[in-house]
Amino acid sequence: MNILNLTGRYFALMFRVFSKPERHSLYIRQTFNEIENLGVKSVGIVAVISLFMGGIMTLQVAYNMTNPLLPTSLIGLGNRDSLILEFSSTIMGLIMAGKIGSNITSEIGSMKVTEQIDSLEIMGVNSAGYLILPKIIAVVLMFPFLYILSVFFGIIGGMIVGPAVGAVTLTDYLNGIQYSFNPYYVTFSLIKCLVFGFLIASIASFFGYTVEGGAFDVGTASTRAVVNTNIMILVSDLILTQLLL
Amino acid sequence: MIEIRNIYKSFDQKEVIRNISKIFNQGQTNLIIGRSGSGKTVLLKSIVGLYEVDKGQILYDNRDFTSMSSKFRKHLRQEMGMVFQGGALFDSLTVEQNIRFPLDMFSLLSPHEKQKQVDFCLERVNIRDANKLYPSEISGGMQKRVAIARAIVMNPKYLFCDEPNSGLDPETSMVIDELIHSITVDLQITTIINTHDMNSVMEIGDNILFISEGEMCWEGNRKEVLYAENHKLQEFVFANKQYQKIRDEKMEGK
Repeated sequence: MNILNLTGRYFALMFRVFSKPERHSLYIRQTFNEIENLGVKSVGIVAVISLFMGGIMTLQVAYNMTNPLLPTSLIGLGNRDSLILEFSSTIMGLIMAGKIGSNITSEIGSMKVTEQIDSLEIMGVNSAGYLILPKIIAVVLMFPFLYILSVFFGIIGGMIVGPAVGAVTLTDYLNGIQYSFNPYYVTFSLIKCLVFGFLIASIASFFGYTVEGGAFDVGTASTRAVVNTNIMILVSDLILTQLLL
Repeated sequence: MIEIRNIYKSFDQKEVIRNISKIFNQGQTNLIIGRSGSGKTVLLKSIVGLYEVDKGQILYDNRDFTSMSSKFRKHLRQEMGMVFQGGALFDSLTVEQNIRFPLDMFSLLSPHEKQKQVDFCLERVNIRDANKLYPSEISGGMQKRVAIARAIVMNPKYLFCDEPNSGLDPETSMVIDELIHSITVDLQITTIINTHDMNSVMEIGDNILFISEGEMCWEGNRKEVLYAENHKLQEFVFANKQYQKIRDEKMEGK
């Protein structure tokens, strides 16, 4: 019953979020602010995590390739496809749910408990639309870019670590990442990114917007938002993989 | 003028407001007073529509707010200004941006005219040289004044203040009270203030509604409040012995 209740309230909130804005120019300005806050400011962490993820993936693939008949260029191929298909979209989604999601929940939750949301309502502003819609648009728009950056830095990470530890030569690695490339994998992951972006922004906003109480409850709501977003990302990943691959 | 008729409000089957009716006059500071937990904030939030009432009517100059569609409510809300207990200023905006926000959202004024209106409001609440500061960089009293400036920037017909003096020292409280009172009289707006501060009651209480345990117990004005025969009101007022002394002195003087 609790899940049904939560789902119903989530969709009711989304209905308000997607109603007509009062003043388009303010919403657009707010969207650009959110693109900077939630998207551009995440580039650093995405680059660092992806660099290490690519390096570690390369080592793992090399460690598991014990058959001398297999060419070492497969290490580059394995790293590339793992990054494109799963790591740069799903793992990055889970990490972003922690970074962006908790940020959104605590921001909106704090506004709720300090009556800033009531204050918007009194002015006649659709607070759900004004606060949440720009965040959803910003995250959905930025997530594919973060994904592409993540793939890029992941491949660079492998390219640095693989030859550095002698697991693969640079030439073999470069051959591997160019071998048998299927562009649909990128399309598939970009679709996943759009869905993950929407889930991260909307679920985190929902938990922030519906928080009751004080600072402690905002913290609890942030945790619940991250946990629920992670579950929904994995569930949607499973469904999309079955449907699209 | 705001009229409430037989208002009821409950949460989880617990009745918080029971059968309250009252007329709040234009150009007067109307106070809702009562102990903490008596239902003042719920009543005020019900009047402004943040809570839906279970029963009863709320009329804004004879316009029935309770049966209004959300579209018309939105329009009516542009005639309201509200000062919240904690100020409720937007943390991410400067003082000036906070005050200009309603204008940016709803008015069709040019940027120059908006600036003039913001400057007028800042002057009205006696704030200088704080335009570019953020709410966290100014004092509590100043935050309340900024909140008042934001509430009046759209030239509202109705002003609501939820415990505007909470957390302020007596001197600043008096400044805030006088400010709200003078704005009410000068702009001829209908102001409703929630308070449990007896100093405010004695200073600006033109029209007072006393509620206890969600029920209306007494109504009158600041001249009558010390001499009212209502037992619950006496308990509330004379919790501060100073007012008991004032009353006794005045009674002896008679």
